[in-house]
Amino acid sequence: MFGETVLKEIDEIRVKYPDRRSALLPSLYIAQREFGWLSQEAMQCVAKALNLSESIVRGTASFYSMFKHKPVGRHLIQLCTNVSCMILGAERLVDFLGNKYGLQPDGTTEDGRLSLVVMECIGACGTAPAMLINTDFYDNLSEKRIEEILEKYK
Amino acid sequence: MISLTINEKEVTLDKPVTVLEAAKQAGIKIPTLCHHDLLKPWSGCRLCVVEVERMPRLQTACTLMAADGMVIKTESEAISNVRRGILEFLLINHPLDCPYCDKAGECELQDLVNKYGPTVGRYKEEKRKVPESHKDQIIARNTERCVMCTRCVRMCNDVQGASAISIIGRGNHSRMEPFSSESFDCEYCGNCLTVCPVGAILSRLYIHSFRPWQVDKEVGTICSYCGVGCSLVVQVRDDSIKRVIPKLGFGLNKGLLCSRGRFGYEYVNSPDRLKTPLVRKNGKLEESTWSEALSIIADKLTEIKGTSGGSAIAGIASPRCSNEDNYVLQKFMRVTCGSNNIDSLSRTGFAAAQKYFEDLLGQGITANIIDGIKNSEVVLVIGGDPTAVNPILGLSIREAARRGASIIVLGHAKGLEKFKTVQVVPPLFKEAEVLEALLVELFRAKGVRAELPFIDKEMRELSEKAAEKMDLPGFDELMKALLNSASTSIVLGMDLIQRTNGHRSLFGVAGITYLLEARLYLLSERPNEQGLIDAGCVPDMLPGGRPMNIPDFKSKFEAAWNGPIPDDDGLTLFEIIEGIKNRNIKALYVMGENPVFNLPGGPFLKDIFGNLDLLVVQDIFLTETAEIADVVLPALGWAEKSGTYTNLERRIQLQKQAVKTSRGMEDWRILSEISGRMGQKMGYLETDDIMREMAKVSPLYADLTYDEIGKGDCLWPYHGKPLRGEMNEVPPVVDAEKDYKADFYLAPEKLLFHSGTLSRKSPALMKICPEPTLKMSAASAGKLGLKEGDRVQFSTTAGSSEAPVSIDESIKDNRVFLSNNFQGSGVMDLLSFSIDEVTKAFGIEGCEVEIKKHGIKA
Ligand code: SF4
Ligand code: SF4
Ligand code: SF4
Ligand code: FES
Ligand code: FES
Repeated sequence: MFGETVLKEIDEIRVKYPDRRSALLPSLYIAQREFGWLSQEAMQCVAKALNLSESIVRGTASFYSMFKHKPVGRHLIQLCTNVSCMILGAERLVDFLGNKYGLQPDGTTEDGRLSLVVMECIGACGTAPAMLINTDFYDNLSEKRIEEILEKYK
Repeated sequence: MISLTINEKEVTLDKPVTVLEAAKQAGIKIPTLCHHDLLKPWSGCRLCVVEVERMPRLQTACTLMAADGMVIKTESEAISNVRRGILEFLLINHPLDCPYCDKAGECELQDLVNKYGPTVGRYKEEKRKVPESHKDQIIARNTERCVMCTRCVRMCNDVQGASAISIIGRGNHSRMEPFSSESFDCEYCGNCLTVCPVGAILSRLYIHSFRPWQVDKEVGTICSYCGVGCSLVVQVRDDSIKRVIPKLGFGLNKGLLCSRGRFGYEYVNSPDRLKTPLVRKNGKLEESTWSEALSIIADKLTEIKGTSGGSAIAGIASPRCSNEDNYVLQKFMRVTCGSNNIDSLSRTGFAAAQKYFEDLLGQGITANIIDGIKNSEVVLVIGGDPTAVNPILGLSIREAARRGASIIVLGHAKGLEKFKTVQVVPPLFKEAEVLEALLVELFRAKGVRAELPFIDKEMRELSEKAAEKMDLPGFDELMKALLNSASTSIVLGMDLIQRTNGHRSLFGVAGITYLLEARLYLLSERPNEQGLIDAGCVPDMLPGGRPMNIPDFKSKFEAAWNGPIPDDDGLTLFEIIEGIKNRNIKALYVMGENPVFNLPGGPFLKDIFGNLDLLVVQDIFLTETAEIADVVLPALGWAEKSGTYTNLERRIQLQKQAVKTSRGMEDWRILSEISGRMGQKMGYLETDDIMREMAKVSPLYADLTYDEIGKGDCLWPYHGKPLRGEMNEVPPVVDAEKDYKADFYLAPEKLLFHSGTLSRKSPALMKICPEPTLKMSAASAGKLGLKEGDRVQFSTTAGSSEAPVSIDESIKDNRVFLSNNFQGSGVMDLLSFSIDEVTKAFGIEGCEVEIKKHGIKA
């Protein structure tokens, strides 16, 4: 259940649009923030807050791969393996994360600290390989640099 | 005028349509997959591509509007190549399990591939695997067969308005799923099944039991459940019903159905059906023969008529039975038994309201076409949820909302939660006050309409009495919407009628209808509530709604019926019950009705029915009332007999026999047999004979024949003459103003999935909705410390029961709701009642209820 403040936040978004369906995507981000991922319950809360059907909410949410559709660790790594990044060794970086942290694509470390999603191009081809950790952006990656960066995410 | 050329054929159109439609008019079939006549064009599958001269690329015929001078080709090598390509792609992930699939034979994909190829697939990769889902009890889902046409989703969203399913994921991984990804938990209308072109979703009621080409016959008939009277098709093989489906463009429902109509038919084959007459011997009901049972009844009725007079006999008619059955019953009561004591349980709602409105506003005031709702600017919904009581009528309200109408709910209506514009929640049981206040405001704004002086006078008096304006959230908005509306539909459910002063609400509604010249619709829970009134199953009116007290009418009927009709007005339902209690009524004849279960105060009724010298019940099941009868006669059910029904908009329709059975006899035939044994031969051989007589005597049915009805559109008054209203006095209110201060009140709930006697014997409906729940608002549950699914015990002064709690967001007051559908736990048994002196319906408001969590000692 969303609390009063969250409901108010969603309401403020809703009144900006003539059609309440337009407020769905921003509301899903709020739900994801509140629940950590888009669980059934999270989507039900959004449906209720916007008086939309649950199925429409799920249909829309499931279209977007950048929503979290399953529980993730405390920090989500989204690593690009598209052409530029791949050429510059992104696949090695995936292996590195696996060997060093036990982190597989679409997986979460046992301590629940890190999750990894392998992404399509995130628009940083010039400084590839690149990744996002939560909402922070990192490029020019190497194994060593990843190790250092991850020190900040406990 | 638009003219164009399709396949070298000149086509002229009188109104703009798509190329697909234009081709259809010219008899040219263009293949389609994502297009469906019940849905808006979508242009997703691209199979309908055609060549249009001077247009660079192939165009989709389902979305392209036909224009003057177009030259179109619907078949060519280029087109066939494209179609083959599309189909090849669709088959990439298809399991090719046609030999096993129940759709084969009526599968659009199979037919298309058969016509356009490809004959072999070139795809070598792994196919996408999505396991078949058996999690839903009604709908089997096999997503691998899905062609992503989204017809089901568009049906559920844009027509049904349930929005229960959507396309999940994207690209190659897209699949159709309900929210839970397992069971559908939806309105189970099954309309998605109608539109799915392939075997991706199928009804589990018939899968693996037959092939579409294996039906012996298809019978077009109407549904047996509610007062909408939807048309449907029964597919029969070896005298058993294989499937019930709607027919596109057919009947007023035009190819749509609700859960009851589509999935509720299995009750006719229930093992619990009565098979032989039962006669009470030494206190026990025992199997008997027709001749014994009928003689017992005839002898006993003759004896009672002789010793105590005909007025000691009473009859209860059935809104589940046909016009013919009911007509014969009232004739049997009036002429053979010599009693005008004939009424029905419709007295508790529909018939009571109908009479009140007709007395006030004239006969036929509620005879409005359901489809008209869609074009209203404002739909005012009062006293019930139309989407549950009359689902297909409810769809018209949802459609009106989509077309921009304001939907105003007075009270609550769960099925309109996502469609309502304004909701006004009256203070508990004070709906009449709100309606009167509304009427006064409208009267002040609109002034005297000066057509029916009596109503004008009453409104003036009301407005003089009324103090200041009502202060209720939404009230002003409601007022404004009504005043600005050029076309208003009022949809009235029965909740407000079932009040001690229900007629006050009715006056309010009548006044608003009159002032706004609105269309008035009465929700009707049973298929023939209107028909039984027209057939004369009311104590004070002969067939055709002709008042008993006009001697001319009466003598006409006496001549036609070969016997005298008693002079008195007869007793209404509750007066009959009163008569049984006082032992003035000695015999009760019940046809297709279950008063002990369906009326409030069941235990009391059971008790006083013991006073009767003779209780006869004819029905298809051993109902609670039949259990205590002296003689029980097995009747024929839906699809086993033919007859006409009159729906809530007063459309007369034919219900046809589809299967033969030896289980029982038609209701009218039973009655005419008994009548013969009592010395009054009726002489009907088949239902046609009855219809012919009705058409002769009833002023509403003048020259009506089955042929005529079969063609459809037989709307009331068929060549007949309606009467004007003739009420000129509204009785004073006998209300001792009550305060409703208790914590919780119990009220009856109408379920989408049930209708009582029939639905509880329908396995599919019992799977969808297996047990009663006590519905309450989240606030009420919070107050009691309850959560969804907790079992509670609850008691009223009349009795107690238990059920799990279900929380319903649409409830906004402290009423708790229980339905009256499940054996042994109907809400009616827990309610005590009073009688509205005007409408003679019961008042069941203000029933205090105590609720506690199961297992907690008080
Ligand atoms: S059965 Fe009706 S409500 Fe359920 S998913 Fe299909 S169309 Fe929607
Ligand atoms: S389930 Fe049927 S109707 Fe729905 S998208 Fe798939 S093929 Fe079309
Ligand atoms: S709306 Fe009424 S008549 Fe139509 S299918 Fe449903 S129950 Fe039957
Ligand atoms: S390819 Fe990796 S950021 Fe564009
Ligand atoms: S039928 Fe026209 S695109 Fe599908």
